[in-house]
Amino acid sequence: MDTKNEVLSILDEVLSLGGAASRFELDTPLLGALPDLDSMAVVGLINMMEERFGFIVEDDEIDGSTFATVGSLVDFVNGKLA
Amino acid sequence: MAADTPRREAFFLPGGVTAGGRFCLVTRAEVPKGTLVFAHAFAEEMNKSRRMVALAAAAFAEHGWNTLQVDFTGCGDSDGDFGDASWAAWNGDLQDAWRWAEAHLSGPLALWSLRSGALVLSDWLRSSGVIAPLLLWQPVANGRQHLTQFLRLKAAGEMLADADAKASMEAIRGSLQAGEAVDIVGYRLSGALASGMEAATLALPAAYGAPVTAFEVGPPDRTEVSPALRMLVERWSKAGVQVRAEAVVGPAFWQTQEIELCPALIEASVKALEGFS
Repeated sequence: MDTKNEVLSILDEVLSLGGAASRFELDTPLLGALPDLDSMAVVGLINMMEERFGFIVEDDEIDGSTFATVGSLVDFVNGKLA
Repeated sequence: MAADTPRREAFFLPGGVTAGGRFCLVTRAEVPKGTLVFAHAFAEEMNKSRRMVALAAAAFAEHGWNTLQVDFTGCGDSDGDFGDASWAAWNGDLQDAWRWAEAHLSGPLALWSLRSGALVLSDWLRSSGVIAPLLLWQPVANGRQHLTQFLRLKAAGEMLADADAKASMEAIRGSLQAGEAVDIVGYRLSGALASGMEAATLALPAAYGAPVTAFEVGPPDRTEVSPALRMLVERWSKAGVQVRAEAVVGPAFWQTQEIELCPALIEASVKALEGFS
């Protein structure tokens, strides 16, 4: 499974980016760079990652740094799947 | 069928844990090939999906399938408040609906679910020993995950404020574990409902002897089902279950801000029903 592509597809859907996320690289900044990425959108991202990857994010596993870049988010998912 | 038989019929199914019974809605086919018993989604997802489910039931009737919808205890138009509901009561509601369908509607009987309805259905299949075709719409595979997401609605505003979200979630979970009800976005969640959902997982007996079809809804560029569903399907296939999963294009109608519809899901489901009778 290609974690990065799956994460980008989730970002695109939750933030309604209309395909723009497919051009994101690992160092593309997220939190603070995407205006629509507010706390509700973060919850939407977490929920969809849980459902599509089949894991549960515990309350103390995430903070703002998890959503800093595409790469930090992909690392987090890979860590959960490992 | 006699001309005076109504195509849609509402009634209250007596019994269950509240005095007023469970609200049921039958959508009848003119010449029935079989009957679907529907297990609905949870809380706000049930409300958001009402119109989509009604339209699907009408389309299924056009193609020969009756649908029996039952509003679980404390949900929709059934008697009781949401706070009266428990996981065990919902299992009983599905059981009573199934028995009513067996007695009053044409077979074969099959089950249809949306979201967490799949968890209720799966728990009930294991306790009842019933084996019937399954049509699963965007199934929730893990009750603890679904409960966590529901509780998160309350903590959502604090999600990025590091310690606060954790403290908030801990307080909510502590109350539930002590058997106390908590209010989440207007729903009074009882400890008995939370604990039952938390323990539920989507599982089938080995070599489950009826066809299973699961659909996931998503954007046009997503042609495959999620890694999570793919793994579940692989596990079931290895266990001898005749199962397939398919991605269809459309909005997540159970959670969109406005009420939305997914005609492609109805179309794909009608095709799946051809393999059920």
